[in-house]
Amino acid sequence: MNSIVDKLYVLSRSQKFRNLIVQFVFLIFVGLFVYYLISKALQLDITLSHFVSRAGFGISHTFLVDYSSNDSRWFAYFTGVVNTIRMCIVGIILATILGTIMGVARLSKNIFFSTLSYLYVEILRNTPLLIQIIFWQIVFLQLPRISEAITFSDTVVISNRGILLPYASSVENGYGNLWITIVVISLITSLFISFYINKREDIHGKIYKIYNYKLSGNIAGIIIFFIIVLISYFILQKPYAIDLPNLYQNDKGTYLQSGGFEFTPEFGAILFALVMYTGTFITEIVRGSIQSLPKGQTEAAQAIGLSNYQTMTLIILPQALRSIIPPLTNQYLNLTKNSSLSVVIAYPELFMVSRTIMNNSGHALPVFFLILLTYLSLSLIISIVMNIFNRRVTRIGA
Amino acid sequence: MKNFRFILVLLSVMSIGLFSACGSDTETITETVEVIKEVEVEKPSTLETVLNRGTLKCGVNDNLTGFGVLTAAGTFEGFDVDYCKAVAAAILGDASKVEYVPLTASARFEALGAGEIDLLIRNTTWTASRDRDLANDFTATTFYDGQGMMVYADSGYQTIEDMEGATVCVLQGTTTELNLDDRFTSAGLDYTPLTFETNDPLQAAFEEKRCDGWTTDKSGLASKRAEFPATAGGPESLTVLAETLSKEPLGPLTRDNDSQFYDVVQWVVFGLIQAEESGITSANVAAMAANPTDPGMARLLGVPFAGGEVADFQFGVDATFIQHAIKAVGNYGEIYERHLTPLGLTRSGSLNAQWTDGGLIYAPPFR
Repeated sequence: MNSIVDKLYVLSRSQKFRNLIVQFVFLIFVGLFVYYLISKALQLDITLSHFVSRAGFGISHTFLVDYSSNDSRWFAYFTGVVNTIRMCIVGIILATILGTIMGVARLSKNIFFSTLSYLYVEILRNTPLLIQIIFWQIVFLQLPRISEAITFSDTVVISNRGILLPYASSVENGYGNLWITIVVISLITSLFISFYINKREDIHGKIYKIYNYKLSGNIAGIIIFFIIVLISYFILQKPYAIDLPNLYQNDKGTYLQSGGFEFTPEFGAILFALVMYTGTFITEIVRGSIQSLPKGQTEAAQAIGLSNYQTMTLIILPQALRSIIPPLTNQYLNLTKNSSLSVVIAYPELFMVSRTIMNNSGHALPVFFLILLTYLSLSLIISIVMNIFNRRVTRIGA
Repeated sequence: MKNFRFILVLLSVMSIGLFSACGSDTETITETVEVIKEVEVEKPSTLETVLNRGTLKCGVNDNLTGFGVLTAAGTFEGFDVDYCKAVAAAILGDASKVEYVPLTASARFEALGAGEIDLLIRNTTWTASRDRDLANDFTATTFYDGQGMMVYADSGYQTIEDMEGATVCVLQGTTTELNLDDRFTSAGLDYTPLTFETNDPLQAAFEEKRCDGWTTDKSGLASKRAEFPATAGGPESLTVLAETLSKEPLGPLTRDNDSQFYDVVQWVVFGLIQAEESGITSANVAAMAANPTDPGMARLLGVPFAGGEVADFQFGVDATFIQHAIKAVGNYGEIYERHLTPLGLTRSGSLNAQWTDGGLIYAPPFR
């Protein structure tokens, strides 16, 4: 029996054993803490059952969604998600364009362009995004007031209530959604057809001919798309009509505006702030990636007589793209997450709408989980898309 | 074998120690609970605390013009602040013995519950959930507020019904936002709510006429209107529509189960209302107290009528407490006149008119 005590003694002197004990105790505490949190959470109402009840509040920006306060909280939340996605898609596209242009300009031999890009990056990257959002809100509010709104023969209205542009709106004959579906399907179909024809020509050297004229895949796709869209438009009794902006005075003489596609100062402010801010980081990514390429690439391109523009678009950027994509994905994710700052200037994206729901219902915890889950899904979708794109870019280069 | 027994003994000793430790713990806990119970029972009422301390700690707003505002001179002024003074004068005989504690809307209830302040008078709406859930009691209504709509005077809007197609600025996540939607939806009106998180960007948008209307409590609107910058048109360029969208009764709060102090605060509020009804003002209160015209007035002021006995209501403070309060701040009408009339909150015809004039300002009898 002496051996047990001896063994215990040896164990107690062993560093490994003591570490194990410490870790075990730590694990128990963590476990207890998690258990405490879960048991607390279970006492609360963690279901989202209250989301089926009437929302009861209005939402100022309803894009592609026909929301009214009589709808459920789920639908209000969905409206917020649509507003977030709308902001992110437009923001990501514009930030990428701005960042690429500025990144190239930063390396320009032209002092004006390189200084402009330098100042842009250093000023906007080093000021808080929140301040920039409020700044742009104030800037957009300086547009003419509605009583002094600028109109161009009833097709465009510009005021600080929003810039209104002509748009399409569905006529109430019930075929609107059907027609949109047909448009989307025909777009996909015609893309496939044009890809097929082009591939057939490029790879197999076979050409379709109509009366001795070569049939190009692009033209075939465009023609097929428009034929299907136009025919279905008339068959479905013109489900969409042009919606012109309207600036009018009510019977009290007060100006109001409605109709058309609305570009509001709130959307504009948050979009500008996000694009300008994220653009600075993309500028640096583009600049760094271009600089990482060997100088010989540029020199070789110039040696075979390519212009500066051709050198950039055909030689430099395609190669730089391989090291641009991974950090660019991070910036897209940042833009998406930063869009939740819209809450300060009255743009109803998903965080603002869900906070309103939270305040009205009093159930904070499950709503917060829903918000987290939604942002997580958005981020993962962006990551997946960018990873697919990244794989494509690296494969072509290899 | 010997060692094995040793370990066994050690283990049993340890477990005994553990159990006994648990036992003593439970006892200590029970004792502590008893002590807490005793403390609760013997806790002095806030009235005693105030009398012993010699000052009244009053939680107020510090940036709502008319109700509670910290002036450039460093003093607190306003309708709510005058009630702090009235209570201090009633209990301590001196209206200057108030320690003002400026509070935010979110911190106010906890400050009262934790004993940081004695009395909360910070434009707080009396609702069932606040009365029930939170550790406080509403004493009486000093001001009948309600949600209103402020528009530019040149817009020509007279009623909510005129506002078809309008854009309305509102704070998000408030009941205000829900009341607004109820009103417009039930009237079948199309509108756009622009919901802001805080007041500053909201005001910036309203000044640039981004919205046609601004909705919040009428007292708040009156206050914002009074300080509307001249560069944006000044107060005259704005009107508050007559319609009221919701009920928002405001008044002082005390802690739960503090009936002595609660009664004093409540009856100071009633006393100032009764004083107005009886025609007693800060100017004539001394003369009235020296020579009351009827027994009712004598009871209110705590003085003998025609050489008889004083009717002391045993509030735990001096029988003349209402007299002190009137001397300090005047009757209800005077307080209103001093702080709310300048904001453009017309009293006649509103809910805050005296009951004899068709309003709701009414005091139970002093008897």
